[in-house]
Amino acid sequence: MPKSVGATPRGTPILSVPFEQRSLSNGLRVVLSHDPAVPVVAVNLWYGVGSRNEPEGRTGFAHLFEHMMFQGSLNVPKNRHFELVERAGGTLNATTWFDRTNYFETVPSHHLELALWLESDRMGWMLPAMDRDKLDNQRDVVKNEKLQRYDNQPYGDWSERLQRLVYPREHPYHHTVIGSMDDLDAATLDDVASFFRTYYVPDNAVLTVAGDFDPARVMDQVERYFGEIPPGGALPPIPGNPELEPLLGSTVRDDVVADVPLPRAIMAFRIPPYDDPGFTTAEVACAVLGTGRASRLYRRLVRERRAAKDVVSYAYPLLSGASMLLVWATGYPGASVTELEAALGEEMEGLADAAEEEVERAVAVLETDLVRSLEQVGERADLLSMFELFFSDPGRLNREVDQLRGVSASDVRRFAAERLGPANRAVVTYRPGGGS
Amino acid sequence: MNTGAKLMVACWSAVSLAGCAATTTQAGVDYDAPDPETGKRTVTIGVGAGGGGRAGSQALDRSQVPAVGEPEALELPGIQDYTMDNGMRVVLVERSALPLVSLELQFRGGGAAHPARQAGLASLVADMVDEGTATRSALDIADAVDLLGASLASSAGYDASQVRLSVLRARFPEALSILADVVMNPSFPEADLERVRRERLARVVQRSDVPAALAEDAFAEVLYGADHPYGASLLGTRESLEALTRDDVAAFHRARYAPGQATLVVAGDLKRAELDSLLAGAFAGWTGSGVDPAPLAGPAPREGRAIYVVDKPGAAQSEVRVGDVAVARDTDAYYPLTVLNTVLGGSFTSRLNAKLREEKGYTYGAGSFFDMRRAPGPFEATAAVATEVTDSAVVDFIREIERMSAETVPADELDRARNYLALRLPQRFESLDDVVRRLAELVTYDVPLDFWAGYVAGVDAVDEAAVMAAAQRMLDPGRMAVVIAGDRSAIEGPLKALGLGPVVVLGGRPVSQE
Repeated sequence: MPKSVGATPRGTPILSVPFEQRSLSNGLRVVLSHDPAVPVVAVNLWYGVGSRNEPEGRTGFAHLFEHMMFQGSLNVPKNRHFELVERAGGTLNATTWFDRTNYFETVPSHHLELALWLESDRMGWMLPAMDRDKLDNQRDVVKNEKLQRYDNQPYGDWSERLQRLVYPREHPYHHTVIGSMDDLDAATLDDVASFFRTYYVPDNAVLTVAGDFDPARVMDQVERYFGEIPPGGALPPIPGNPELEPLLGSTVRDDVVADVPLPRAIMAFRIPPYDDPGFTTAEVACAVLGTGRASRLYRRLVRERRAAKDVVSYAYPLLSGASMLLVWATGYPGASVTELEAALGEEMEGLADAAEEEVERAVAVLETDLVRSLEQVGERADLLSMFELFFSDPGRLNREVDQLRGVSASDVRRFAAERLGPANRAVVTYRPGGGS
Repeated sequence: MNTGAKLMVACWSAVSLAGCAATTTQAGVDYDAPDPETGKRTVTIGVGAGGGGRAGSQALDRSQVPAVGEPEALELPGIQDYTMDNGMRVVLVERSALPLVSLELQFRGGGAAHPARQAGLASLVADMVDEGTATRSALDIADAVDLLGASLASSAGYDASQVRLSVLRARFPEALSILADVVMNPSFPEADLERVRRERLARVVQRSDVPAALAEDAFAEVLYGADHPYGASLLGTRESLEALTRDDVAAFHRARYAPGQATLVVAGDLKRAELDSLLAGAFAGWTGSGVDPAPLAGPAPREGRAIYVVDKPGAAQSEVRVGDVAVARDTDAYYPLTVLNTVLGGSFTSRLNAKLREEKGYTYGAGSFFDMRRAPGPFEATAAVATEVTDSAVVDFIREIERMSAETVPADELDRARNYLALRLPQRFESLDDVVRRLAELVTYDVPLDFWAGYVAGVDAVDEAAVMAAAQRMLDPGRMAVVIAGDRSAIEGPLKALGLGPVVVLGGRPVSQE
């Protein structure tokens, strides 16, 4: 369990998650976080590859590849990976995002070696198990995933539209993680092989083991399963041009008439990348705006002005060039989307007078979310992997709270004045109208 | 961070499978699925049981699944169960590993405790309790909760209404006093009621455009009928929401949010003596027995199997639901049905997902569940499938359900299902919120609190014959309802051609309020 090692005047404990940083000779970085409180252990792998690494004509491939990683490896037939973990009473999953792909399972602690065996077998020996039928099957599954989660949802294309506005054609975030159906159709087994050899190598990965394990044995166990996997070569550069101007320079927009029942206005702003200290300010500003029912947008637009039925805010933590702060407001039936957008815009600019109390509340909410997420070994492992892969610094987890508390109201006001005005704004609006 | 904007693409998870297998049990959360049952096992079965050699001491044979050691015993929490002078039951687990407290104050009766024509009332009351009290405005409450680093949330299911609180130990007394105020003294301001009603009505309109929601609502109504509380939406309908009054809200609150209807489930860094004294202060003067919810009548019997289509012109997929009214939580077949469902549709490697996703590629995920409630709840099998294979998918659903009562489950498959349930118990008690949930769900259904201690034995005792008997008793695909929200023009013909039963077209998308 994370330990409380001090208290601030507000009475909130500062967290300290214990961890050790190791590495194998093949370049695999290992983070260990011991906690025997509950007899479960999390095994978590982050690979330094995501949709930003996809070449032209292969959008969606990093995610399709992630599906293929569950289709077996040299010593693990199709379906066995899931069968073995489920038989052990474990849970597992994987996700693909812009800058990375992660794979994880939480198992009863006596099944640690099962998880290490499964993860190492596919890191080292995935290709011998690949065939055309598996690729075709998972291509169909992923197409259905796109249909279910995007195409068959109201406003389902919003992220595609927004990313096109915020990131130029040649930028790796111009396209979505789910990608296009045509590009999925074009993917071949050769693509699988070359992607695997390039990116799924131990020196492009972080392995975190968190929870109940034997501290005296765990590195032997990791070495035993992962040690013989050969390192890869140099990683190719990210396709396209990740360089960006910090601001959009104007308001860019995409106004959509769609078969949706309620109007929605969405806005996004370029903000500093995740590895820039300015990102923390953006994160706090984002919570001031839209996290919780005491947040500014909820209070002003939902409660007081009654212009919106719901509001959302989110700061994407992205590495290449610029991240993105997103807000949206959904209007009532029959409301004008133009007025909704105007109201949202006013509130965004209004953040330039953010009060001390609002910032204090936002920091408290972010702290609470972080502390609570650390109760689960799976979450702890995921954050340690991320901080190691992105910053070679898992200890940053233990400094997050301090970093958040270091953001002042004047920082938020300055951020709002610089970033949230019409000169750095991408807008997507949905106006209800007719059949699709 | 707001999940509304999360763009992660999940390969598969309990969450995503459950997401499509979801039923709306809480009005505040549109796709909040019931947890699959899990548990712990004391005897290791399956993968290469035997002594694990010391790592590194011999060459690794990768073709062999690693040997496992002995499972560590899970220490189930010690439970204190007592009643306060005002009639409120308290269930306390003292656990001091982290300086946190988590609790649920649960009241008997939710959406099934009022008539179906008042659909949405229970969840509306839950939404309104923190919209202002005699001494605090809604904003005061939200602000104070955030500054305390607490989370406070109220909701209602069919069988219970609840307020949940999670907070650092040091801030527990202040947070508890806010919770008590919200429960005891809500003022239900007219202006806020009108705003919340308007938000609700907009959500009803929004839901009418979500294919999965259309399928869920139609499935409930087909199974139970619009006059049965389980057939009505917890969110409410346009008609019911427009008719509800402040008096209705206040009356439901009086009947349900009373100490005589309440159980407080608490886990955290807290001793009983401290808790009792804090409760005495926070809930001073709170009395009343409330009104026991009336038992529910069964739904009117349905005719035999039929296919119901909710038209969503141009839909990119078909949302399919197959099922029937099944059992209440107090069924004597709890364990056989739980194991049966794990084999059929309760895990990634279950038959429905293996067939429809991993073999056919028709869907991103297929699954099933028994939603066991105080009165018999539904059995539901579910998937979102590509429009052009809708008819083929229905055939596979029916065939896999039939197979459960026609063929004995192979020993290895049964073993995997029992292990999956039993060995996952420790994960289900990982956080304080988990501990509270596990106990609170027992309270809702009057299940004895030592239930989890007997869980592994209960799962282990299920054999092939018990699964077969349960399937024959509870799964009759010959009379199940098949409900599909999708593009009628593309699917109606092929569905009729199946000859599986009459195809009934239910009203399409309701006219929006514009």
